[in-house]
Amino acid sequence: MRAFFATIGVLTAMSAAPTNAQNVQISSDVDSVSFSVGANSFTITRTQDTAAILEGEFAKTSRPCPEFCIQPMIVTAGVAPLGELEVIAFLENEVSAGTGLLLDARLPDWFAKAAIPAAVNVPFAALAADNPYQTDILRALGAVETADGLDFSNVKSLVIYDNGAWDAQATRAITALIAAGYPPAMIQNYRGGLEDWLHLGLSVVLP
Amino acid sequence: MIRSIVALFVFAVALCAYIVMQPDKGGRQANAERAAVTRAQTDSILGPIPDAIAPTNAALIQAPVRNTAPGLALETEHTQMERTAANVLAGLGLNVEPNPNADRVDPMQEMTASVLSGIGAITGNRVKAGFEAPEAKSALELLVVKALQEGQDDAYINTIVNAAAKAGEISVPDILVTSDGDVDTAVLLSSIISQAQIAAGGPAPAVPNVTTGEGVEVRVVQRATQAEQYRFYTVNQGDSLGAIAVKFYGSVDKFSLIYEANRQILSSPNAIKVGQRLAIPSL
Repeated sequence: MRAFFATIGVLTAMSAAPTNAQNVQISSDVDSVSFSVGANSFTITRTQDTAAILEGEFAKTSRPCPEFCIQPMIVTAGVAPLGELEVIAFLENEVSAGTGLLLDARLPDWFAKAAIPAAVNVPFAALAADNPYQTDILRALGAVETADGLDFSNVKSLVIYDNGAWDAQATRAITALIAAGYPPAMIQNYRGGLEDWLHLGLSVVLP
Repeated sequence: MIRSIVALFVFAVALCAYIVMQPDKGGRQANAERAAVTRAQTDSILGPIPDAIAPTNAALIQAPVRNTAPGLALETEHTQMERTAANVLAGLGLNVEPNPNADRVDPMQEMTASVLSGIGAITGNRVKAGFEAPEAKSALELLVVKALQEGQDDAYINTIVNAAAKAGEISVPDILVTSDGDVDTAVLLSSIISQAQIAAGGPAPAVPNVTTGEGVEVRVVQRATQAEQYRFYTVNQGDSLGAIAVKFYGSVDKFSLIYEANRQILSSPNAIKVGQRLAIPSL
């Protein structure tokens, strides 16, 4: 666990370093992406140390399954899978414009260790039907209470992630949202999660 | 295969145990601390109250949040009655946290509140959950505190509370509205007494076994193996849902049992009318 914190520490220190003359760009013509959400601004870059490797928690290859099983790319029909560039574009375009939200579906202790910039922690358990206050969360996502139940026609577009391909928390969050009536077309899944994000040396925040 | 099923089962059981244990742990600790605090302060504070109010075996309520039916004479709210009583006692200097159950931190409430704050920080629009009731002392509580501090009697308190409610100056818990559209201050005052008693280490009110009396009706239905008893109560003048809960269950906090069992005729807890025949579920 100490190694994990050390890794995160190195990564954040790196991403805060001066960003001129980038050797490791996000894509061939983009070295960093900045966007603001309300009063907060965020910058996403990559770790510039070309020898950097992941250590600790996210370097593990063989977590026990059952429990940490490989998740499907398509959780359910209509929910599109995304890669890192699409997640970054979503932050830049939809989250900063207020039409979309990046949801971190992990339990709060995971979220507190490191998260993708501008993500909101909405643990899968909070979205489950057995949370008596599920409706309050759906309302915060844009659902409107009507006499005939919730109206999802003006909900926010969501991208959901968790720890990675071995983690079921995003899958559970997506399944719960759809069961509650959230339109699948308004949900996208970043299956690679924090593990893939860190593996590419992308910036994380400590919420 | 068997191994993996067993492992999955063990994980599920462990997860359930974790979820079940979580709230209890916090709640018990909190109770222990609270009991220690309240006991130390009780004796000096309780002095003036019993003179003003006749103790009964009424108690505490926790009203669930529901929508109030529109168009009723008094302004009511779904405040937790026990919260009202606790705030009155707090106003008198007695720091009680009344019903241990009511104050137990619900982990899902906590998680939901933190999710709503997180979304609010991003969207700039913090959605308020149903359970996030305002904390400030209500006008009703301030009024009752003042009257008790002045040493006023029950009749006086009843008069001023009803006058203020009719003038629209205060909002009252909906289960305190009687069949006449008045405020049942007796139930509120007895609830304050019982909270003070419990805070002082006294017992929780006993459940009376009411089978006779005005408006009470008992039907026994013979089934194949056993006889089942059904109780009904016809609403009299001046009854509130809180008072009926005290009559049958010894405590206002059980009012929702009666309310839920009679949803077909009760549109809201304050919509109680003389002559309504209410089913009284067994505990």
